This record gives sequence, structure tokens and C-alpha cells, in this order.
Amino acid sequence: MLQTLAQVSLFSLLAIICVQAEQYFNLPIPGSVIGLAIVLLLLLTKTIPERGVSLGSAWLIGELLLFFIPPVVSVIKYQSLFEHYGARLIVMLVLGTVFVLVGTGFVVDRVFRFERRMNRQRAQASLAPSMEG
Amino acid sequence: MSMFEDTGLALVGIFSLVMTLACYSGAKYAYGKLKFWWLSPIMLAPLGIISLVLLLDIPLPSYFHFSHLLTLMLTPAVIAFAVPIYRERHLIAKYPLTLSIGVIFGLLLGLISSWSLSKLVSLPPELAQSVLVRFVSTPFAMEATSSFGGVPELTAMLVLLTGVLGMIICEPIFRLAKISTSLGKGAALGASAHGVGAAKASEIGEEEGVIASLTMIFTGIAMVLTAPLFSPLFT
Repeated sequence: MLQTLAQVSLFSLLAIICVQAEQYFNLPIPGSVIGLAIVLLLLLTKTIPERGVSLGSAWLIGELLLFFIPPVVSVIKYQSLFEHYGARLIVMLVLGTVFVLVGTGFVVDRVFRFERRMNRQRAQASLAPSMEG
Repeated sequence: MSMFEDTGLALVGIFSLVMTLACYSGAKYAYGKLKFWWLSPIMLAPLGIISLVLLLDIPLPSYFHFSHLLTLMLTPAVIAFAVPIYRERHLIAKYPLTLSIGVIFGLLLGLISSWSLSKLVSLPPELAQSVLVRFVSTPFAMEATSSFGGVPELTAMLVLLTGVLGMIICEPIFRLAKISTSLGKGAALGASAHGVGAAKASEIGEEEGVIASLTMIFTGIAMVLTAPLFSPLFT
């Protein structure tokens, strides 16, 4: 519990620093993504161990919904907009979601079968190089 | 007089924050006990709080007085995504092509479909511009939406609706479209229903869940980084 709190505080501190840096240097990449890259780099170079950030990360990702409830509540301001356009909005949301689900799923299904075959061939080739030669 | 008003505002603000936390944990607890999808916290928690705010006639500025602090946590939450990327680095190295294609197609199909469908049903500009980033996870969507002229609050709502829709319709769609591999299902759910989709995908299978999370994270990052480039095309 205390460990989670400490790690979440570290993530938050890094977030503040990165957003400040983004604004100060007028960077084209948002502070949050810069922070993500920094933590990933620190993990990959083993500068920080995974267990040093894993609890805090799991908590922040697990409670993501809580953090965006307040902006969702402000749709009350846009009540009339939803009353007017609600029906068409739902139609377009459903159609678009079907389109992305089918499109992405269909393409990735094919590419995955291809890449799996390539991986197997590579594995076989490296297992038995002398057999062919 | 103004001191009373300030204290009143602060009190309603504290009450709103406590209420938000209570609704959220209540919804989480209820879903943990009874696993009905319509009890899912993503539906129940916002619905509960919106009803309470309307019922008690709480003015929005008072509601946001303290609860806006919760939204600040979206930035560290994006940074936290570094850990799952690191943890799954071997899977990423095994299927670099499949994952990249999933991210690129998910991102482009999402932008193109949102843009053309909002033209087709002629949505007003504030909705049409906010709907463009609806397929990526909320922290990324709220960051990217301003590039397209979208309204962050509307975006949050549209992202939420999109996630719930994807969760509900994915299984019949997979059957009809004959999408059968774990990576196909995972990438489709991660690209079309972000966090909700990733949760749904991990109910289907472990690999589906991991692929959905990775696709969601990378699509989100790609959206944030490319939004300034795409904005002249889609506005």
C-alpha cells in the first residue's frame, strides 16, 4: 500500500516535470509521452528495476476510469446537443465501431498467420543449418 | 457573505469528490460480486454520478472544484504504460509486423470512419471534431483532441461510449467476420475499444488481452504524435 503510494507519487512528480519541460521548451511531443519514453528507457537499460515501478503503474492503469469520470460528468452542459443529435450519433458510433473491429481484425488475422509462418521457418532454419548444407 | 459562498462552494466540492469516489468504488464492488456487463463500472459509475449531480442540482463549477484533481492523474497514467510495454518486450519483438500493422490500420480506419460517418450523418462541428479520436484510450484522446478542434469533455464521453459499444458487439462481429486468431481479436479490440476492449479481450484469452493492451497503448501514442499532422486532413 505504502509502496504503491510512493510509486504513484514518483510517476506524478515525473509527470509534472515532463509537462513543465514540454511547455518551457515548446516541445512538439506531449509531456506524458516524454515521461513514458523516459521510464521505458530506464527500464530497458536496467537503471531502475521493474518492481520499483510495477505497483504504481498497475494502480494508475487499473483506476484509469476514475480519472476520467469528472470530464464525462460535464456532458450535462451539452444535454441539448445529445437530445438533438443523439440518434444519428449512436448510428455513426455503431457503424464506425463495426468498421474498425472488422477492418483491423481481418488485416491483423492475415498478417499474423504470415508472420507466424515466417517465425517458424526462421526457427527451423536456425535449428538445422547443417541438414540443408 | 462571500466567505459563506466560498465555504459553500468548498463543501459542495468536497461532497462531490467523495460522491465520485463512492460511486466509483461502489460500481467496482458491485461488478466484482455480479459479473453482468451492464453493471460494469464504466457504465454504472458515470451514470450514477451524472444522475446524482442532476438530482441534487449541483452546479458544475462546484462539482469540479475538487474532482478536477482526479483528471490530473491522467498524465502519470500515460507514463505508467511504459511498464506493460517493457514487460511484453519479448512478445513485441516476436510479432513486430503484426503489431505495427494493427496499430497503423486501427488508427487510420478509426480516423477515416469517424470523419466520413460524421459527414454522412451531418454532425455539428463540436461533435464531429471531438469524435475523431474516440477509438484511443481517454488520456491519449483528451491530449490529441485539441489538435482537431475537439472539446475534451465531449471527447471523454464519446471515448467511453465507443469502448462500451466495442465490448458489447465484438463477439458476434468476430464470428460473422471469421476473425479467429488471438492476435486478430486482440488487435481489433485494442484498436476499437481501448481499455474496455482490453478488459474484454483478457476475458476471451490471456494473449488476446496482452495484444489488446499493447495495441491500445501504441495506437494512443501514435494518435498523440500524429494528430498535428492529420488535423489539416480531417477538419
